[in-house]
Amino acid sequence: MAEVFARMVSLVMISVFTQNAIFDRAFGVNVAIYASRKNSHILGFTVGITIMTTLASAAAYPFDIMLLPSEYGYLFMPLIYVGIVSVLYLIGLFILWRFFPKIFYQVKKYAHLSVFNCAVFGALFLNYNFGKGFAGYVGYGFGTGIGFFLACFLLNVANDRLNSDKIPQVFRGYPIMLIFIGIVSLALNVLVGYTAEF
Amino acid sequence: MENNSKSFKYDGLLRQNIVLSGGLVTASVIVACTTMMRAFVLVISFFMISYLSILLCRFIPKKIAYSFRTLLYSLVAAALFVPTAFVLHMLFPGTLNEVIVYIELMIVNSLLLAKTESRFYLIPYGAMAADALIYIMGYALAAFAVGFIRELLAYGTIFGIKISGALMPAARSPFFGFIIVGLLSAVSKAAVIHRKER
Repeated sequence: MAEVFARMVSLVMISVFTQNAIFDRAFGVNVAIYASRKNSHILGFTVGITIMTTLASAAAYPFDIMLLPSEYGYLFMPLIYVGIVSVLYLIGLFILWRFFPKIFYQVKKYAHLSVFNCAVFGALFLNYNFGKGFAGYVGYGFGTGIGFFLACFLLNVANDRLNSDKIPQVFRGYPIMLIFIGIVSLALNVLVGYTAEF
Repeated sequence: MENNSKSFKYDGLLRQNIVLSGGLVTASVIVACTTMMRAFVLVISFFMISYLSILLCRFIPKKIAYSFRTLLYSLVAAALFVPTAFVLHMLFPGTLNEVIVYIELMIVNSLLLAKTESRFYLIPYGAMAADALIYIMGYALAAFAVGFIRELLAYGTIFGIKISGALMPAARSPFFGFIIVGLLSAVSKAAVIHRKER
């Protein structure tokens, strides 16, 4: 039991720092930039993405074990992942609509953005490489959501300064945001002494 | 009227470039586009998955709520991933394996999930097909520019042909990808501003 817990925690740490969805893989950068503009968005997106990556990772585990070892199994994984995420998304929408109608009307405009994005699907596609076992899958999925929060928080802190008049007009907004993410990505790589082989 | 139609047709190339301006599809270019060959494989994949999905999903009835249509769009793209990956596996097995995660993630790209609703599906089918193609060309432009710069700096080659020594091996790292896309984004923004002023 302790070993399983340790495995889960180590995978959470890996997906937050060394394999951060935004800083190391650029999964869902546009969503993170969008979400980081408002505190309420950060919370909403983080909750949505964390729940989805955790549950979808757990649900995807048996399919990965069955299909990915075969030569052409990978061809069908996107279809399976879309199926899993869609079912979870519909269940989530139903629960919100039925039991929390106020929240449902608040989040329905951007609920799909926090579900059908590269951060969620990226976690599913990478799980097989890093997850190793059910606990690992759940840990990696959960950590991806927390890593997304870390990225959004850092972008939110820098947002006002990066969009101020002190920044030249051509760099203001999206260009300087990317350069900022690049510098944080470099800092994280140096911090953990790790570089993704790309 | 003619001017409007002209700007409408070609703005996907630079002014509304999905990588450099809108940031809708960035992960593949930022992380995986480290050589011209990778850029080529990504562009072919993007065309086969996104463009064909846009053309096919037009037939999904508008009566279905947007929250549900999103999931159908992803399913169509995931189905198109199967022939795309199979063909690329035959033609470029090595390169495909290196960038496969980013090709898989194209099933949830924002060009398909967001731009369709805000732009493509508001115009006639023929105009939409041409407009979407311009957007794909915009992606190709950004991917080849980033691939060219990074391959030259990181490996000293262009399409594998030796030009010089490796000037900056770190150019293949994700952090450099963020920075170079940020810089190119600023350059494209400056070009758009300059054109407007003229």
